[in-house]
Amino acid sequence: MSGEERQRPRAFRLDDAKVLVSDGDPAAAADFRKSGGVVIQNAPDAFAPDDEPTEPKTDEQAVEIAQKRGLLKRALFTWGGLFWSALGGLVSLGFSVWTARVVDDLFERSQALGWIGVALAGVLLVAILGLLARESRAILRQRRIAHLHVALADARANDDRGAARKGVGDLIAIYAARPETARARKLVEDLTREIVDAPDLLDIAERNLMKPLDDEARREIAVAAKRVSMVTALSPRALIDVAFVAAQAVRLLRRISEVYGGRPGFFGFLRLARSVGAHLAITGGMAIGDTLVQQVLGHGIAARLSAKLGEGVLNGMLTTRIGLSAMAVCRPMPFVTENQPGVKDVAPFLFGGDKS
Amino acid sequence: MSTFSDFLFETRSAASALAEYVRGNHLRLGVTGLSRAGKTVFITAMVENLVRAAAAARENERILPVFRVHADGRMIGARLEAQPDDHVPRFAWEDHLAALTGQDRHWPDSTRRISELRVTIEFERGQGWRQGRSDLTIDIVDYPGEWLLDLPLLTKSYAQWSRDTLEASASAARAPLAADWRAATLAASPEGPASEEQAQKLAGLFTDYLRAARADRYALSTLPPGRFLMPGDMEGSPALTFAPLRFDDGEAREGSLRAMMERRYESYKTHVVRPFFRDHFARLDRQIVLVDALSSLNSGPAAVRDLETALTEVLMAFRAGKSSILSTIFRPKIDRILFAATKADHLHHESHDRLEAILRMLVARAIARAEDVGARVDVVAMAAVRATREALVKQGRMFADRADLEAIVGVPLPGETIDGETFDGAGEVAIYPGDLPADPKLVFRGDGLGVPAGAADYRFVRFRPPLRKIASDGKPLPAPSIRLDRALEFLLGDRLL
Repeated sequence: MSGEERQRPRAFRLDDAKVLVSDGDPAAAADFRKSGGVVIQNAPDAFAPDDEPTEPKTDEQAVEIAQKRGLLKRALFTWGGLFWSALGGLVSLGFSVWTARVVDDLFERSQALGWIGVALAGVLLVAILGLLARESRAILRQRRIAHLHVALADARANDDRGAARKGVGDLIAIYAARPETARARKLVEDLTREIVDAPDLLDIAERNLMKPLDDEARREIAVAAKRVSMVTALSPRALIDVAFVAAQAVRLLRRISEVYGGRPGFFGFLRLARSVGAHLAITGGMAIGDTLVQQVLGHGIAARLSAKLGEGVLNGMLTTRIGLSAMAVCRPMPFVTENQPGVKDVAPFLFGGDKS
Repeated sequence: MSTFSDFLFETRSAASALAEYVRGNHLRLGVTGLSRAGKTVFITAMVENLVRAAAAARENERILPVFRVHADGRMIGARLEAQPDDHVPRFAWEDHLAALTGQDRHWPDSTRRISELRVTIEFERGQGWRQGRSDLTIDIVDYPGEWLLDLPLLTKSYAQWSRDTLEASASAARAPLAADWRAATLAASPEGPASEEQAQKLAGLFTDYLRAARADRYALSTLPPGRFLMPGDMEGSPALTFAPLRFDDGEAREGSLRAMMERRYESYKTHVVRPFFRDHFARLDRQIVLVDALSSLNSGPAAVRDLETALTEVLMAFRAGKSSILSTIFRPKIDRILFAATKADHLHHESHDRLEAILRMLVARAIARAEDVGARVDVVAMAAVRATREALVKQGRMFADRADLEAIVGVPLPGETIDGETFDGAGEVAIYPGDLPADPKLVFRGDGLGVPAGAADYRFVRFRPPLRKIASDGKPLPAPSIRLDRALEFLLGDRLL
């Protein structure tokens, strides 16, 4: 409006003859205006709560729930946990008794052998401790990334500059060991010191830091999907398919987690898998619109050529879905400026499109 | 002596905080605001929304969508309870609600004395190791906003206060209002013998000046001492019969007018200001600061700057900081502060961001200080009771959509004027209040005070409270609100998980 004369405050009495309150019928309103009257149109209430029920979750809510069920799960007591801890305790007791006996036996045979046994047992202990440390570090790291995801989503929702700066700082710290992100990190880090609103800062961080990682993750998914559909189509036995698909899914989850900065060990991987499963279950219903149609369609065309080929396409699609869920769950930021990729974006070759 | 009583108070405060911590769920919510900022309406509406949330849900009215505990369906209900302090009157919630919803619906009268209310929210915990039924008790205190202006006096001596007050009253904006009192003060001889008659005359003129400056037209804010404007039960007491004088440095002569005034000023501080501050402000967990920026904007830049001074001085008095378990027990601190620009329903929602930007500037120093010590701060444009709806006014040439005005529709209070029209308090009016400037600094620039209606780019008209929908139990449903739920979520949400 700059440049024009500013409107002075005005008042219009609704019961005035020259004022028409209109909700519809634009023709009558237009006539009224032509004759020099003023038309007042009721505006939709900007503060009315959305009528949509809250249950069908948005993508972001789905991700957060999924993270809570796996990556962020923290239960002080579960029956399953009790079972495994008790069993683990028994097994390790048995193992240590066995080790002690072996060492004893060795000493009985010869002093030297005994010492070698002791040394080996010591090395074993160190290795076990190392493995445990790595596991817990990996789990902590995964948790940190998941927490960061929630924090960044909140910072954007609340337009909270302080939280955004802190979150972006953490984000930079996660990728500090990646030389290829150096330029992006520098750019974003400089920005955190300037006066930038929270959403803008997060947009820039997402575009610069996340984009290359997204691309890498998508490549991984595409490769896995391709491999799975190929092997399924060619393999002679169903059992081999199943084993191969499972192995590829495991590999894919690990790869995607690594791309986004997690380094899942064994337990970390279990948590990740649980989150991905939860995310698939929640979003399965949401995505039914596009994916089911695609699946039926894709399967239909391929199945007409050969049943085996159709299965291959289906397995490829399944792998892709798993990969996409893993991407959503592992990503330290919600998708905002970048679109969350769908099956078709990542694996277009499954739909008989251009060869890529 | 006051140091010792402060020490005693600290001990008591720590002990009661410890007791509250052991008992569990308790929260003291400080509702702070200068007079006419809307404290009473905010408390009434907040309590009404909490108490009637269940009824509204039964009627399928979706209220407070952002207030998680309610939106998730975990809130069972809220009830009023007996307050903890027997010597403080109860907040007359029912009366205020009746004023808002009765036949001739009107805003509650301005608060004349302190009062208190306790609300308990019953809910179920959704997460954590303490799942299941739980409750949260909230204590709210209402008091005349004028009294808040006294807090900065605690750190000022009589000499300094006299100097500051005289200086302020000489400014271009205030000089015409203060003329009578200034003439009398400058004529008085501080070192002359004390006379009760003269003291009363000076105090009377000084009070008149403060009252005039506060009138709607000028809407000035920095006007201590607060009890002069709203004496409460102290009307006519000697502690209120003093006024600033002009005098040179040095000891006051015994028996002089100045010595008497000084003694009364000091006893005003000890007997009025300090207990009020101690009993009601030193132990808060959460704080909402209500600011009526619109009347100051109506009046002009001088009034806006005055509001900034008043807010900054008052807010310096609060304890803020990140609370940990240890500090919760031994020295409760305010860990969340919400600054709310009230009466946001008086302008179109497109302008709310600008109003928030202005408020952010008004309280910039208080925000910086609170963030420094680790308190969480948020700024929001809010209307606890929404009296208007929005509409688009199309006028003049066809297809000239740029001439469309984003207006608000409501029933203005009788006597409000805009655009050369004066309203009678009956019949709806669509009002285009004008746009706030995109750059918040512009509202601070200039010397205008009591700017007449036609001269400003914007003018905010006050409206009557809205008509209520009636629920099937025959009682009215809570009025619509603007961002009241966001305020509640920020203030209480983390205790209701």
